[in-house]
Amino acid sequence: MSLQVLLVEDDRELRATLREALTVEGHCVLAAASLADARALVAHAQRDGGPGIDLVLLDLGLPDGDGQALLAQLRARQQVPVIVISAGTAEERKIRLLDAGADDYLVKPFGIGELLARMRVALRHRGRHVAAAVIRWRHGALEVDLAAHRVRRDGQDLHLTPTEFALLARLVRSAGQVVTHRRLLADVWGAEATEQTQYLRLYMGQLRAKLEDEPAAPRCLLTEPGVGYRIVEGDEAGASGG
Amino acid sequence: MDESSSSTWRRSWPGIAIWAAGWAALLLLDGRVDLANQALVLVATAALATLWLPGWASALAALAGVAAFNWSFVPPRYSFSVDVEQHALLLATLLVVVWTVAALVTRQRRLALAAARDARREARLRTWGDALRDASDPAVHAGTLQSMLAEAASVPVALLIDTAQADPLQVGAPDADQRAGLELCLREGRPLGPGSGRYEEQPDVYLPLRGRGHTLGAAVLQGQGRGARSELLLPHLQALCDQMGQALLRAQGEREAQRLSDAAHDQATRSALLAAIAHDHRTPLATILGAASSLAEQGERLDAAQRRRLAHGIVDEAGRLARLTDNTLQLARLDAPGVQLGCDWESAEELVGAALQRARRRDGGQRLKAWVEPALPLLWCDALLLSQLLDNLVDNALKYSPADAPVEITARRQGEEVVLAVRDRGEGVPPAWRERIFEVFRRGEAPAVADRPGAGVGLAVSRAIARAHGGTLRLRARSHGGSAFECVLPVRPQPAVPQGET
Repeated sequence: MSLQVLLVEDDRELRATLREALTVEGHCVLAAASLADARALVAHAQRDGGPGIDLVLLDLGLPDGDGQALLAQLRARQQVPVIVISAGTAEERKIRLLDAGADDYLVKPFGIGELLARMRVALRHRGRHVAAAVIRWRHGALEVDLAAHRVRRDGQDLHLTPTEFALLARLVRSAGQVVTHRRLLADVWGAEATEQTQYLRLYMGQLRAKLEDEPAAPRCLLTEPGVGYRIVEGDEAGASGG
Repeated sequence: MDESSSSTWRRSWPGIAIWAAGWAALLLLDGRVDLANQALVLVATAALATLWLPGWASALAALAGVAAFNWSFVPPRYSFSVDVEQHALLLATLLVVVWTVAALVTRQRRLALAAARDARREARLRTWGDALRDASDPAVHAGTLQSMLAEAASVPVALLIDTAQADPLQVGAPDADQRAGLELCLREGRPLGPGSGRYEEQPDVYLPLRGRGHTLGAAVLQGQGRGARSELLLPHLQALCDQMGQALLRAQGEREAQRLSDAAHDQATRSALLAAIAHDHRTPLATILGAASSLAEQGERLDAAQRRRLAHGIVDEAGRLARLTDNTLQLARLDAPGVQLGCDWESAEELVGAALQRARRRDGGQRLKAWVEPALPLLWCDALLLSQLLDNLVDNALKYSPADAPVEITARRQGEEVVLAVRDRGEGVPPAWRERIFEVFRRGEAPAVADRPGAGVGLAVSRAIARAHGGTLRLRARSHGGSAFECVLPVRPQPAVPQGET
């Protein structure tokens, strides 16, 4: 699968390394060192008949501003996946971009393997073939069927409360991707509950107790400290997503 | 003026009463005793009354009393004429005695008043000295000096104090002239105005606040030049001002000494920290440089397995370098005053679980186990910092224990605290080092750990993180060998959560 990837990164060395690594994977890389460059490339690629951009890797520490404007510009035309690349010091901006609709994030320094995995997940969710929302998810002995409102472990039905189910469903719909605290709270409890992180702690604890073999060493319901939660990708992600 | 005359009158009324009583006695005794005895009664009355009357009143009263005595009792009675031979001497003696008594009493009274005033001034100087000695910053006593000077001089007072910062501190309300006078006085360090020998025509008196060799402020006695002034008052006021000046100078000296000592200490800490950090960074860098240059220069001649091993070495060491950099940055951040934490309600189970997951991705992380007490209270903390703390402790435990020994990460409640612990079965830390390993620049000296990289900054940051959360990080030796690093965090009142549903 050859993709058109827009790489927005101001550090020359990292840009060159990433470009090379992505080219090896067979992707076509458009590289930009600033927001202005990136905007120009987006405008060019989005012209009628252009190949379009399949995925964006967006660094936060750009010399000429915040990535949020670029994110808005990209979202205006198509649901192109955006993965935020952040340095450890840019927590707040990173979360703001995730809340504004970025798909995932990577903290510098990161390995190429991790980057490729995140890209695969992001593309699966809203790639070139606009995927139907994940409605069935399976990982090991766990099965979630959103349409049938059913959760099974080792073939046995599990009883979840309505809130637990809503929370699990929200994570499953973004399987493999991080979902921020704010997003989860807004989608499950409503817009007025976005600051009540303790609700999440309570219900995630209950979900881990019901779903995980070892709640203190979870394998499915993963915590991204300070950012949000992520449920791992399903075993047959391609199939259940398609 | 009215007030002072009425108070004089109040003080004098016993004297007047004694005069009245004396005259009543004289009239009563008239005809029963002879003239000499009556004269003694008059002397006694005058002497007694003098104790309460002002000097001039005593003298007048005595004169009037003798004249009246002459009129009333001395033959020929009811005339001022005097039988020179018989009574002139008596009357003259009477007058002299009464006046002498009055003069002595008045003098005595004046001395007593002066003594009391001196005692008051001395007490004031002493209290002032004590207040200044105990003050960490004497400038805060400027208001006290102002009111003390105002009380002593009975005029309004304004001050200008050189605080060694941008603007001098002004206390009170000087007008523009007075402000200029204060500045001149502060600059020259000498008194100005009436009584000082300089600018005698000025309406106000200016006094400098002098320390040794420096003038640190000035005071203006507003309108002191117009009022009656005592030559004795100015030296007293100057003494008060100079005490302030000396205290200000002393405080300035102490501040300067403290600043220099802080700077020297900071410099020493920074140098030691930089040396430790440079040392810690050099080890992974050496591995990376070695492996990378080998790949660059001998790549052709290495087989695929060798190349892969070198590349993995680079990846691992770069990861370690990244963690080290995070720790170093965090240490600098937590060291800064007024550091802001991004606190939220966090679950200990999640923090432990996430740390476990990160560790298992790295080499050797598979021997890590986790145990979390059920139903722990939520922690009010910065999740990223706590994650960093746990990562450091896990890193440390994996590094300093045998590759097959288990490492546990646990969370439990202990009274009003939650304890996050990382426990290993390594060789432990010698008692002498159990505190010192938390000091960043000590690590290199410890013989047992000198050859193993990274503990120094990591433990120091972890302790700084625990403390930033109002908690502690301690090292406990385990009974069957090994160490337990325990981060103890206080439990806060828990937030409201939705009621249970089924």
